[in-house]
Amino acid sequence: MMATAGEQVRAYRLAAEPGTRVLVASLGLACCAMEVESAVRLGLLRADADAADPSDRTVLLVAGTVTDALAPAVRAIVDELPAGTPIVSFGACAGTGGPYWDAPTVTKGVDQLVPVAQYIPGCPPRPEALVAGLLALPFGVAR
Amino acid sequence: MSAESRTVAREAWEETLGDLKAQGFAYLDLLTAIDRGDQIEVVAHVVEPVSAGQIRVSTRVPAVDPRLATATQLFPAAAWHEREAAEMFGLVFDGHPDPRPLLRRASPGRPPLRTATVLAARVAVPWPGAADPESAGKGARRRQLPPGVPVDWLDETST
Amino acid sequence: MSPVAHGVIALLPEACTSCMICVRECPTWCITVESHAEQVGEPGARRPRTVSILDRFAIDFGLCMYCGICIDVCPFDALEWAPAIDNSAANRNDLVHDTERLAGWRMHD
Repeated sequence: MMATAGEQVRAYRLAAEPGTRVLVASLGLACCAMEVESAVRLGLLRADADAADPSDRTVLLVAGTVTDALAPAVRAIVDELPAGTPIVSFGACAGTGGPYWDAPTVTKGVDQLVPVAQYIPGCPPRPEALVAGLLALPFGVAR
Repeated sequence: MSAESRTVAREAWEETLGDLKAQGFAYLDLLTAIDRGDQIEVVAHVVEPVSAGQIRVSTRVPAVDPRLATATQLFPAAAWHEREAAEMFGLVFDGHPDPRPLLRRASPGRPPLRTATVLAARVAVPWPGAADPESAGKGARRRQLPPGVPVDWLDETST
Repeated sequence: MSPVAHGVIALLPEACTSCMICVRECPTWCITVESHAEQVGEPGARRPRTVSILDRFAIDFGLCMYCGICIDVCPFDALEWAPAIDNSAANRNDLVHDTERLAGWRMHD
């Protein structure tokens, strides 16, 4: 049985923009999930326990290696999100396959499944790069 | 900590693992394979949980007849390891209760971790290192190949 | 964390001889070098010398695994780590940085 997105993703908010209520739903698939968490330690993201607010702008962050075996589960989670939710790829694997570019079991980037709004490169990206990449999205907030 | 190593004949694989389990090496830590050319080496690490003592057991099977008795009756944890080793190295584990591929979803082809198998991505993507500025305009010297691909790779893939 | 750690890789184009070593060592095949040969006459030299002129150097940071092998193997120190945090892109192709952009990441001349 496919788990729901709520059980699979971890929610964060941008510390720099607490008022914008950007909900960063992180789908952690590999080591990049730890790197997202490191942004919390640095005070750049807040691990957010608040209930989602209807005014939230949700972003789905895909952090880690998408494998062909896992691709349907990733796709199902994307499909549960509100239409138009921007997908941000975090790291080389989620962006292109990265170090696993020639592996027979790895999807060559999450954009093979769903369009990506912003690619954050790195192996891993720096936590600051995560925040910069999220702020580069057209949230409609003053920047 | 260096683990003790034992190499056994293919026919003694199941019995060796069974003896070790009876001696207390009840935890299967790892089962994988290595392409040795004409033979495929299968390696298992078993652990005695109290002392954390570890023994490495290996056997070799012919690459043209890569069959081996399953260890799943002794160690249920061997099931995933053997499914992975099977799909990656073309091994057949006789008696495996569920021999479906574990990780591969693409159409079956040559086992990807056999060294003779050229990965599809490495054929589809031109190697940027093939450009040779030194011989530009002079006619190519020896053709450059990416590291880790067989020398006859281009011949094989161009046919 | 060092400010250059996992930033970007900068290029010093004037130091690059288009020798292709970095391109061939890169595990992810993310570096592209285009060059051409030119005859350079020097005063006092009997015949002109053939030199490689760099036309284009590009790193695909989408594929790059930040291993630094290219920096280590370069015999001419033409590549170096440099700080960058704002290098995300809305288009996949914009993750490919070519000569000028790579040169612009340099911390010093």
